[in-house]
Amino acid sequence: MRIVDLLSKERIVLQTSAADKDSVIDLMVDLQNTGGALKDKEAYKKAILAREAQTSTAIEAGIAVPHAKSESVLRPCLSAVTLRQGIEYGALDGQPSDLFFMIAAPLDGDLHLEILSHLMVLLMDPKFVADLRAAEDPDAFLRIIDQAESAKYGSQQPEHAASTKKVPMHQPSTGYRVLAVTACPTGIAHTYMAAEALEKAGEKLGIPLKAETNGSGGAKNVLTDEEIAAADGIIVAADKNIEAGRFHGKRVLFVPVSDGIHKAEALIQKIESGDVPVYQHNGSVMHTESEHRKEGFGRQVYKHLMNGVSHMLPFVIGGGILIALAFLLDDPSIDPTNFGMNTPAAAFFKTIGGVAFNFMLPVLAGFIGMSIADRPGLAIGFVGGSLAAVGTSFWTISGSAEAIPAGFLGALLAGFAGGYFMLGLRKICDRLPRSLEGIKPILIYPVLGVLFIGVFMCLVNPIMGALNTGLTNFLNSLGGSSKLLLGAVLAGMMSIDMGGPFNKAAYVTGTGAIATAAAAGAPSTDIAYQMMAAVMIGGMVPPIAIALCTSFFKKKFTPDERKSGVVNYIMGLCFITEGAIPFAASDPLRVIPACVVGSAVSGALSMLFNCGLMAPHGGIFVFPLVTNVWGYVLALAAGSVISMLLLAVLKKNRPQE
Amino acid sequence: MVSKTVQVINPMGMHMRPAQLFIKTITPFACDVTILANGQEINAKSIMNLMAACIKQGTEIEIQCNGADEEAALKAAVELVESGLGE
Repeated sequence: MRIVDLLSKERIVLQTSAADKDSVIDLMVDLQNTGGALKDKEAYKKAILAREAQTSTAIEAGIAVPHAKSESVLRPCLSAVTLRQGIEYGALDGQPSDLFFMIAAPLDGDLHLEILSHLMVLLMDPKFVADLRAAEDPDAFLRIIDQAESAKYGSQQPEHAASTKKVPMHQPSTGYRVLAVTACPTGIAHTYMAAEALEKAGEKLGIPLKAETNGSGGAKNVLTDEEIAAADGIIVAADKNIEAGRFHGKRVLFVPVSDGIHKAEALIQKIESGDVPVYQHNGSVMHTESEHRKEGFGRQVYKHLMNGVSHMLPFVIGGGILIALAFLLDDPSIDPTNFGMNTPAAAFFKTIGGVAFNFMLPVLAGFIGMSIADRPGLAIGFVGGSLAAVGTSFWTISGSAEAIPAGFLGALLAGFAGGYFMLGLRKICDRLPRSLEGIKPILIYPVLGVLFIGVFMCLVNPIMGALNTGLTNFLNSLGGSSKLLLGAVLAGMMSIDMGGPFNKAAYVTGTGAIATAAAAGAPSTDIAYQMMAAVMIGGMVPPIAIALCTSFFKKKFTPDERKSGVVNYIMGLCFITEGAIPFAASDPLRVIPACVVGSAVSGALSMLFNCGLMAPHGGIFVFPLVTNVWGYVLALAAGSVISMLLLAVLKKNRPQE
Repeated sequence: MVSKTVQVINPMGMHMRPAQLFIKTITPFACDVTILANGQEINAKSIMNLMAACIKQGTEIEIQCNGADEEAALKAAVELVESGLGE
């Protein structure tokens, strides 16, 4: 926000004369009305006069700032008047007033306060005020303000006004003017890329910045309370919920983690411009209503989903790899129907892995619910997820063998239904008397929440169960060429957005399928494991293809890109698709299609060779567990080489300096 | 010197009217009054300084009084802010 943007020369009258306070106000209201910022001039004038009636807006040193925050104002605007001869305006110091700024501000937001503050910072400089009084024409007047604003708020270290004792505003003792928190659902790559991009951008702009990373290993480089208190504002670049209560009362900018990577400089400048709302942490809910609306429903849903998926992932990986080890350690010839439990070692791994898997659906639903409704949403989601896993319905209350689990689809539904129910319940409970505040979280929320989700899931389970069974049957019935298509689609989706919604949709399908299959004790040749194999191979191709391309087609990359390309071998082999993102982001229209085609080919080949995978993650570390591993390696190599060649053809040569 | 940290609770923060009221309340006291807010040290007896600080709702401010009648001044200032600055 800049004064010169709100003040135009049509709304400046200089060196004029006025008889009294009323005539100055009349003049200025007329000025404000030029340019269409007012909806209703009379209503606005009424608001101005009402404000003056409370106490005069004359401050000191001959300056007065009549202002109104009113619904008759369509957009903020300023006008300015100087008088040759000061008039009595009711100033506290008794001096006549001759320099006037009038502020019109819309009702909502803190803009009014910001304009006022901004203006005061400038007006504290006596030379600036003297220059304004001496100005003869509006252009000169605006130029003086522009220069003062650039000096104070520009990229240079601003010099604070003379009458404040210290200048800590733009250089707090903690050393950081802007803070950031970065977090992505998996917490492996994006989190750290965003933190690095932000810190680099801060360095470039000369604005010290500290970024806290909320990765999978917990929060690192944690912001201290002193740093938060001293900072101008905080950038939250996150696709999952972070602990935001500590930022109450600070300017906080909530953006997707990708903005932290790609728009770091703009974010820092936005914080420094002051044009960022102050964050109000209301109770335990993570975001205020307006931010929810701003975010867009689709992104919210994605964020809730990812909160569940990221918390579920350790259970899937831990349980999945242990179960895979159980199969590795077992001998199917002992009892094929009891495969995985035949030897004591296998039984151990399978049992422990199974216990971990049992948590998957409750954790998924629980953390979706928690993302939506904060802590009260956790219990309702957990119970809903467990009901989805068991398949309890009104027809099979006691959990008879006929109960069909609603599976992960049911758990997703339970998480969202439970979360939004709880959100609604909390809204309704806001109307209860304050004396009941204490029993809400310990009695009302849990009892009503669990009861609701119980009834809901008992009604939904039969439907979801049928749908899930239908889908599984459909996927299982896909044989021959359509099985190849399935593999190609799953793998291709993995590399479309490398961690975004497409990628996660395919990934959730794959992990969900193996969880269902493992729970049902399906043999290792089950289509579910082949789907997982296709999913993983699809996610491994992009980084490997890019790494290969940086090795064999050096001219297509800058020297910096080539250096980071080497790391992509490791990332690709570990199934960390995110490694390809910097390359995809810098040249999306060429890199993404090349990656998708290679991934799809490898997925189809993986299906063709009947490769199966019982672990949901692990890259090359789980290759020993892959069914038909040589076919899998061949499929991976073929896909990667195809992607590499396409990259080489599509990408243009890059400067080698 | 005595000091106390309080939170600004009125919805529109320290805009002009609350700032005027604040100044009016503490001017009768002889002691120096300083506010620490948003990392700034503000001379709380200057209306322009007070408004320039852009103190919004929810901001924690530390009021420091230093001088002969510091206790009374701090009490008056804290009560005023806690009561919502007349809003």
